Amino acid sequence: MITVFRYALRRYRGQIIGWGLAMFALGFYLVPFYDTFAAQQEQLLDLLKSFPPQLTAFFGDMNTMFTPNGYLTIEYFSYMPLIIGVFAVVAGSGLLANDEENGTLDLVLAHPISRTALFTGRLLAFVVATLGILLIGWLGLVLPMGSSKLLNIGWAEMALPFLSLLGVLLLFGALALALSMVLPSRRLAASIAGLVLVASFFITGLARISEDLQGVAKLTPLHYYQSGDAINGLNAGWLVGLLVVAAIFAGLAGWRFERRDIRIAGEGGWRLSLRRRKATV
Amino acid sequence: MTNSIVMMAQGLTKSYGSVQALRGVNLEVRRGEIFGFLGPNGAGKTTTIRCLLDLIRPNGGTLRVLDLDPQADPVAVRARTGYLPGELRLDDNMKVEGALRYFNDLRGGKADWNFVRHIAERIDLDLKPAIKNLSKGNKQKVGLVQALMHRPELLLLDEPTSGLDPLIQQEVLGLIADARSGGATVFFSSHILSEVQEIAERVAIIRRGQIVEVAETASLINRALRRVSVRFEQPVDSQALAALPGVKLLKQSDGTSVLMQVEGKMDGLIKALAAFPVSDFETEHPSLEEIFLAYYESDRTEAK
Repeated sequence: MITVFRYALRRYRGQIIGWGLAMFALGFYLVPFYDTFAAQQEQLLDLLKSFPPQLTAFFGDMNTMFTPNGYLTIEYFSYMPLIIGVFAVVAGSGLLANDEENGTLDLVLAHPISRTALFTGRLLAFVVATLGILLIGWLGLVLPMGSSKLLNIGWAEMALPFLSLLGVLLLFGALALALSMVLPSRRLAASIAGLVLVASFFITGLARISEDLQGVAKLTPLHYYQSGDAINGLNAGWLVGLLVVAAIFAGLAGWRFERRDIRIAGEGGWRLSLRRRKATV
Repeated sequence: MTNSIVMMAQGLTKSYGSVQALRGVNLEVRRGEIFGFLGPNGAGKTTTIRCLLDLIRPNGGTLRVLDLDPQADPVAVRARTGYLPGELRLDDNMKVEGALRYFNDLRGGKADWNFVRHIAERIDLDLKPAIKNLSKGNKQKVGLVQALMHRPELLLLDEPTSGLDPLIQQEVLGLIADARSGGATVFFSSHILSEVQEIAERVAIIRRGQIVEVAETASLINRALRRVSVRFEQPVDSQALAALPGVKLLKQSDGTSVLMQVEGKMDGLIKALAAFPVSDFETEHPSLEEIFLAYYESDRTEAK
């Protein structure tokens, strides 16, 4: 399992660096900018009042946007699940199905390694890669903290919204993984998980201005994402809830992977699957 | 299963939806032999081999590999087996040596790296290039090295020479023969009959998910069709020969020479020829291709 983990993590290197550096650069830009932003709050408030509430709702409470936490929520944490969610969904759906579809899994699984060990090793690599991306992102916010006179958040407090984000990312990654184990193609699994992510983002945002949607919003994972509010205190119940659901999806995926046939190269879609099977038996 | 039987399948069935890939496969492979598994594309060769490694699960029947049940103990079976897939795909982002080290790591670093270099050298495989820059033939060589490098007891090779040029095919067959000399049992599938004829001691022919014949390669060749050419000192009426059971007249010229196809025993033909003034008599062993076609021909006739 250690070999599987090591090699899987190595394959995430590029993504960890790419996604991590993007988050790092954004944080590094936003923190020093806060002082200027806060100094111009009257003009900015006038400008924001002209925006429709349906638009501003997605970014949190505009009344608090000039507080350090509100600023980071609106400018950074509010949309981060949607952005890094792309990584989680693509990585989750491709954790096993990618190699299965390109035909390399057949030979890997012909080696003395159990399906459970392969699954666990790769899942752990995905978790560590996600943690790595968030760690680099977190550094992007805490390292330039001294460059702002007004924005002064402790390193530990700043880690809390990242923990909340981690819960969301693991949940969507595990959902995509579970779907990839039951659907005929990785792409379909990624599309459905991505759709759930986007729908969750919009429902949660619109529920802030429409009471009718608040009931539905409670059923979406992003309702339990604290965004920048976590700086004031992490809702451990929500985080545990996200992680438990992620674990359930991962468990279902592992259960399914243990029992199913390993497809060989090209057995992708429904129609293609039947044609290829006839050709390769 | 006795100790001399390395692999055994009984009544093995497997279906993909409405497609029945295996319809009760029965097979026994003995320790130390090279066993050819013949059949056209789509006959069930790949499906059988993938069941042996627990990559797919059969719907019914019994399987024993190296005295183990592959479904109950897949890791132990794979640890003692070397496998070359029919459609070999390797990670394009790795280099040849990196890929081989990865496979070796998955086996707990069991391979002797000097031996790996020795096999690679023997089949002229450079370990430095990236996989993505390799030709199909060179990728197949990587596949072979990974299958052989830990000196497995059982080699499962699915169409090992598929897509290779004749020179590399010979190298591959040489490696397979060497592995057997080193004590390995080799089970290899092919639809190229001449290569099976060259190295396999026993052959199973699979058709539409069923084994239609298991035989010693030599006896398969001996007992089936023969081509007989006879030259006479003076013109004869060859119709009398054509009327013999199992004899088919293929060609005759001015009554002094005939070419015949004889199925089964030669005794009747020899006795009939004794009545004629024979000046020359030649018989050819059929190729496995012809035997193979004969099986399919008879099957088709039965189906009608």
